Amino acid sequence: MDAFKLMKELRLNYEQEVHYLPKKTGLSLIASSVQDDGRISAKCRDARVEDLWSLTSFFGYSTQTFVLAVNLLDRFLAMMRIQPKHLSCVSLSCLHMAAKVTEEECNLTPSDELIRIGQCRFTASDLERMEKIVAQKLNFKSFAVTALTFLHLYHRIALSHSADRKETLSLEQLEAQLKACLCRITFSLAKPSVLALALLRQGIEAVRSEDMLEIAYHIQKHLKIADSELLLWSERVARCLSDYASPECSKPDHRRLQWIVSRRTAQNLHSYRNVPELPTIPEGGWGESESEDSCEDGMSSGEESLSSSLGSDAEGPYFPLHLHRQKQHLRVP
Amino acid sequence: MPPSSPSSPTTGFLVPSAEKVDGFPRRSMRRARQRRSHSSSQFRYQSSQVELTPLPLLKDAPVAELHDLFCKKLQQCCVMFDFLDCVADLKGKEIKRAALNELVESVATSRGVLIEPLYPEAIKMISVNIFRTLPPSENPEFDPEEDEPLEASWPHLQLVYEFFLRFLESPDFQPSMAKRYVDQKFVLQRAHVQLLELFDSEDPREREYLKTILHRVYGKLLGLRAYIRKQINNIFLRFIYETEHFNGVAELLEILGSIINGFALPLKAEHKQFLVRVLIPLHTARSLSIFHAQLAYCVVQFMEKDATVTEYIIRGLLKYWPKTCTQKEVMFLGEIEEILDVIEPSQFIRIQEPLFKQIAACISSPHFQVAERALYFWNNEYILSLIEENCQVILPLVFATLYRVSKEHWNQTIVSLIYNVLKTFMEMNSKLFDDLTASYKVEKQKELKRDRERAELWRGLEEHQERRMQMLTEAARNQRNLQERGERG
Repeated sequence: MDAFKLMKELRLNYEQEVHYLPKKTGLSLIASSVQDDGRISAKCRDARVEDLWSLTSFFGYSTQTFVLAVNLLDRFLAMMRIQPKHLSCVSLSCLHMAAKVTEEECNLTPSDELIRIGQCRFTASDLERMEKIVAQKLNFKSFAVTALTFLHLYHRIALSHSADRKETLSLEQLEAQLKACLCRITFSLAKPSVLALALLRQGIEAVRSEDMLEIAYHIQKHLKIADSELLLWSERVARCLSDYASPECSKPDHRRLQWIVSRRTAQNLHSYRNVPELPTIPEGGWGESESEDSCEDGMSSGEESLSSSLGSDAEGPYFPLHLHRQKQHLRVP
Repeated sequence: MPPSSPSSPTTGFLVPSAEKVDGFPRRSMRRARQRRSHSSSQFRYQSSQVELTPLPLLKDAPVAELHDLFCKKLQQCCVMFDFLDCVADLKGKEIKRAALNELVESVATSRGVLIEPLYPEAIKMISVNIFRTLPPSENPEFDPEEDEPLEASWPHLQLVYEFFLRFLESPDFQPSMAKRYVDQKFVLQRAHVQLLELFDSEDPREREYLKTILHRVYGKLLGLRAYIRKQINNIFLRFIYETEHFNGVAELLEILGSIINGFALPLKAEHKQFLVRVLIPLHTARSLSIFHAQLAYCVVQFMEKDATVTEYIIRGLLKYWPKTCTQKEVMFLGEIEEILDVIEPSQFIRIQEPLFKQIAACISSPHFQVAERALYFWNNEYILSLIEENCQVILPLVFATLYRVSKEHWNQTIVSLIYNVLKTFMEMNSKLFDDLTASYKVEKQKELKRDRERAELWRGLEEHQERRMQMLTEAARNQRNLQERGERG
């Protein structure tokens, strides 16, 4: 598609995006609330979104499905006050809805499998009902303008202007970074066009391409995005991405997962933790040395063969000759 | 009845073929077989069978006569009886049984009973009774886990063992005196059945006594320790490399466990060699399930004593990893978990690569128990912390397997467990995870492309073949036409 058409499409989406923004007040309320049983907090929303990402990845869904699901979730949460115990049902129904409009029929995971893998306690019919509620409240048909929409457009624009640089700016990497940002609720407060532009810019800065930086500037001007707004979100994006890219591994929250095994495996799990009945016999214990036994002499060092280290009886019939040959294979490495 | 298969020469008990499954007699049939008591094959019938006369009770004896009476009773108990014949010598058997009982009581409760002259008599009585050739197994399909043949002379034998044990544990017991009679020959002697050989008894009650007795002997008679260790070595080596038969492996290992637990540091080279040359190869035995718990305990004890043996242990287990026996594989995995539970992080790093390659292979096993057991490692907090510290190395090793198996495995529990493992990794290091996902997808695309190209190639070849065939048939037809015209014209 030529550059002109792309820019036009960009403009169109920019005008549309306001319809798909979550309500600012509702979202801010969640973003600022402290964890408590009565209402959804930022922490529990973020944890749920991470779960959605796990499921997306596990079932091989596209990033598009994920981004759309998060968009639906945030819009719904900003609009309706729901109890934390319903959050998993809401988030899963958003994912399922997003998958239904994005993924191919054959790749769609049935809802009961979704619930089983997600280790949720509600039923498939609960899920269906919740989907209807969400769709109705959001007036969702099958489409939403999200940060991913812009990211794709920006990427194509950048490429169409510098065709030889196809390899340097990886769309996949940008998508992964977008995903990392969306796992934090603050980024849902940004306008998708701005967030996507901030991501694009940091990707361009990372590959140090002056040309593409110009293109990004051009896009900013075309959409009339304020410098201050872009700067604000660029900073936040930078911080988020430096956490994401840090080589340090964080300790996973282990308790949330259920580990179910079959009965047979469960029976055999701790069968070895038996306390031995026989009391320990200390070596050379009770004050008496073992020097009476000539076998102990000259044993403590080196690669001695089994026979010589075990005393003068080694030549006896209980150490048959052919076992000497075996010893070659058993040499201590 | 149809004759039994040539591979199972049962002694006069033919198994009808209907009772066989795949040519092997069913388990239920085997259990239903009459439990045969074992003969103590070396009971010695004195040519002139000594008649036992009942002696006065020990508790009634005046102090001056006590030791003499004790000695006489010991000598009485040296007379052996035939228990296969249930009705023979009932009176004599009862006299001996009562005498043995009294001797046990006396040693257990009274002080000052054990004086020096009694030692040789006591040891003689014990030797005469217990050192007998164990009969060869009458049941060639003896399944150690199911069949429990019982020693016929147990009514006397048990009391002899009990006496031996109380004798060893008596506060009056003097090792310096005993060692003259409980010597190397007592433990093991060529062409005789002595203490260690008795561990091959099929009667678990006998082995239980022997285990405790040998434990006490080892503990109290320091001069015998090296000899005992060496002979146990030999028994194990014979078991591993020659006979694959010995009923007392578990009991001996239990004793060894208490010995290993008491090793002084630094560990002697002899002990480390024992670990590498005997304990690790023991894992290859077919009957591993009988003694695996005790073996695993010994292995873990070694690690707790000296962390530097860890690498030997794990590389050894990997070398002997079962390739066709899934029951063993599950056991190995259990042992690996126990080892990892106590491993030092610096040692873990040295073996993590080969270990996790094997774990990945287990995860992709079609046998669900193997896959489950391997995946369950991620539920162990300490192992998880080790993985987390070395995520960069470990995740790439298992990633592709996890993904592939999640799509292909038939078992739903496994699929759930894999999700848990993947999610755990994702939380540990999302960037690494995303990178691996991306490269996995790229690989998959390449694979698909290769498959398409291969299919194209074959299609091209087939088309080419078709065209050739067409040309040939055309040519043949033209040839015929020419011929016909030639004939006509």
